[in-house]
Amino acid sequence: MLVEVLTRVVLVVGLLLPIALGLFVGRTRLTTTRTEWRSRIRVAAPAILVLSVVLLASRLIRWGGVDSDIGFHMTETIRQTEGEFVLLFLQVATPELTSYLTAIYIYGYTFLLVFPVIAYFALSDTTMFRRLLTAYAFNYAIGLVFYVLVIAYGPRNVFVEQLLTGSGSSPMIYEHSVEYRYLTREVNQNTNVFPSLHTSLSATVGIFAYLTRSSYPKWFPVAGVIAVSVIISTMYLGLHWGIDVLAGLVLAVLCVALSYQIVGRWSLSELYGQLLESKWF
Amino acid sequence: MDTQRSGSRRKVDGDSAGGISRRAALAGAAGVMASTSGCVREFRSTVNRDDLEPLSLTITTLPADGDRESILLAREIAATLEAVGIDVSIEMRSQEEFRRAVVINHDFDVYVGPHPGGLDPDFLYETLHSLYADEPGWQNPFGFTNLLVDDLLEAQRDADGEQRRDAVEATLEALAIEQPFVPICTPLEHRLVRDDRFDGWADGHLATRTGYLGLEPQTDDSADQLRAVHMDARPSQNLNPLNVEYRDRGTVIELLYDSLAADLVATDGDHSLEPWLADDWEWLDESTLRVSLRPDCTFHDGEALTADDVAFTYRFLEDTALGGSAAPAPAPRYRGRVAAVDDIDVQDETTLELTVGTGQDVGEQALTVPILPEHHWSERAAAATIPGVRIAQGTTDAVVTDNLPPVGSGPFQYHDHTEREHVTLERFDDHFTLRADVALPEPTVDELRVGIDPRSTSAMQLIEADSADVTSSPLESYVIDDVDETDAVGLLESPSWAFYHLGFNARSAPFGNPRFRQVVAQLIDKAWLVEDVFHGYARPIATPVADEWVPDALEWDGADPAMPFLGSNGEVDVDAARTAFEEAGFRYDADGNLRVRQ
Repeated sequence: MLVEVLTRVVLVVGLLLPIALGLFVGRTRLTTTRTEWRSRIRVAAPAILVLSVVLLASRLIRWGGVDSDIGFHMTETIRQTEGEFVLLFLQVATPELTSYLTAIYIYGYTFLLVFPVIAYFALSDTTMFRRLLTAYAFNYAIGLVFYVLVIAYGPRNVFVEQLLTGSGSSPMIYEHSVEYRYLTREVNQNTNVFPSLHTSLSATVGIFAYLTRSSYPKWFPVAGVIAVSVIISTMYLGLHWGIDVLAGLVLAVLCVALSYQIVGRWSLSELYGQLLESKWF
Repeated sequence: MDTQRSGSRRKVDGDSAGGISRRAALAGAAGVMASTSGCVREFRSTVNRDDLEPLSLTITTLPADGDRESILLAREIAATLEAVGIDVSIEMRSQEEFRRAVVINHDFDVYVGPHPGGLDPDFLYETLHSLYADEPGWQNPFGFTNLLVDDLLEAQRDADGEQRRDAVEATLEALAIEQPFVPICTPLEHRLVRDDRFDGWADGHLATRTGYLGLEPQTDDSADQLRAVHMDARPSQNLNPLNVEYRDRGTVIELLYDSLAADLVATDGDHSLEPWLADDWEWLDESTLRVSLRPDCTFHDGEALTADDVAFTYRFLEDTALGGSAAPAPAPRYRGRVAAVDDIDVQDETTLELTVGTGQDVGEQALTVPILPEHHWSERAAAATIPGVRIAQGTTDAVVTDNLPPVGSGPFQYHDHTEREHVTLERFDDHFTLRADVALPEPTVDELRVGIDPRSTSAMQLIEADSADVTSSPLESYVIDDVDETDAVGLLESPSWAFYHLGFNARSAPFGNPRFRQVVAQLIDKAWLVEDVFHGYARPIATPVADEWVPDALEWDGADPAMPFLGSNGEVDVDAARTAFEEAGFRYDADGNLRVRQ
């Protein structure tokens, strides 16, 4: 069943990407990319490396399971702080909205994360590309620290009657769909909801889309709509608390700021160039 | 003594208004009253008294993703306790962590969750005997200590036949008064099965090994693979029969490991203890049991299974450190059964004599523990080590290993697994049930694939789409009404001996006070919870044993015969509850909070 969903994700994103590339990036940029890709990769190598290491570490640690003895159990604290806020979404729940948000949560989110990587790589100036990867790396790295420290279950584990018994217009009547099974599987593995990485990564992409609106004017509104939908879907589907989302937004701003601070501060290629020159000439 | 007193005073000082006024009194009074020593004594006696504190407790339970019923029960109970002036918070722990916190570390106030229970009421001996109050495992997680109950538990162990029935009745009646834990209900287990692929589902209870043996394949390819779908990922992560965090009733373990005798349980709950790995047994006298093993049995790795392995198993379960630790390190499961065997004498390759310290009924129950291969487990007697970390005494490799791949002697052997995806077993062709002269249910399929799917709804779909043959875990009760039975898909209902309960940690006040536990027991509307949480697919219970052992006096008769609910329709009568607490010696403050000495 996991394979089924993953295949679907690959198919959907694989279908969307060429369309989006044609629409937002354009032929010219893609053509130059074909000739310049080697040098761009060389310049961006440190960022690529850092992100890969962070992703690998995060995967390993999360699969291995987080030791509950290190972290603090916070479910009750979060619930008492924000009360029944997420249940507000039940009042607007319709089957159509549930299908839309489930699809957004899985397919939209993946697309939102993958597309800018290619789009910014297609810019001759790699600064944005490197900033994006660095911001992703920060998101995962900081998120991981919180995953270890804060142990909390999402609203679907607390408001069981409202969110899970599947009566009336509850979003959970869609438990049957393949996508939904994928969600519950993910939730089963991951009892740590604070902060919402779906939110922080989507918001990160949204902020970058805003900052690069001169290069990609049409991408900004699209990214904005998808990012906001993903953020809403996390709460609508009962996966995250409002507080997780809030923390995710703060994390996004922080990561973008950090990426602006760090990228371009040290140029490895220049150092490398100097090294080469001193040796050979 | 002095430090202790100042310590407790500091606690009171920090306690809001009362503390401040007392401190002010201290400052003022020191000068005024110091003149006469009589006044000083009176002063000291006045200020050095600790106040009762408002009761605040935490209910530890499982999250909805692991066990929907437990969290729903916990929420309802929490709401009721809040209504009668107790401050309650709920702490959710995943399946493994829940068991680690409750049964290993005893780190809880009150918990709500399932108990594996037992077909024979002797499971209560290990569950409640005071000797086991400090041991990790299902042996007495409550820290319940009562010498009179100890005597009753021992008496039912020593008796046989009708006498035992009376002794069990006496024990259960005492427990109904003591309420060391509150039994809430026993679920009616529902499972979906593909009738078009296999026949014979009604012969064996699917929570035991018998459910997966003796099935009759109905199509040409059904014999290739029996596809079970399991809603709990733990069997795909750990297959250690001694581990307590990953086991409930140990159904998969029963297929991998044989025991000397097997309780063959039918779907309707009828059961009988039959010779399994043992060919036969015979009582030589009151307390000596001669067991002869079936000849030429082997473990899955080809090594012979001999009487030495059996003797080793009982020794090992009694002390998994095999004498290598400062104190014995008993296994966290099978405690009561192993304790029934005082001594084992190996006569030859296939004959043993067990000296049993209990009656014969309980002595035969001891034959149901899984037999472990000595050549795999003897090295696991070493203390578990992690460099730089202090490990709790008695933590041997044996109790923490994930035991993958497992090597047993059971009708199925391990093939492969992927965590959270599946564990696949294949038929063990040398198993004795496959011999022509053995009339026991046998493995009829080449392969048994236990696929993991955490949701009842999707498990149901897999069955309906003919992607699975049986839901090996019971369906969650909220989906049962949605099942469409067809010619191909049948719904199987079977009784359970597992039960949901509320456990008290009697090690801390006020849970050690039986009067407190009695009042709490009366605040739980079991019949209403069965309707509300289990959609009627459970039976409210007043006593935690299997149906056949329930004495008339504790039979559910529309209400709890021992601890009737103080209220109606799930709505607690707050005044009655308050009166009950006050009559039990507890006090309320002006704001309606229950205050206790903690």
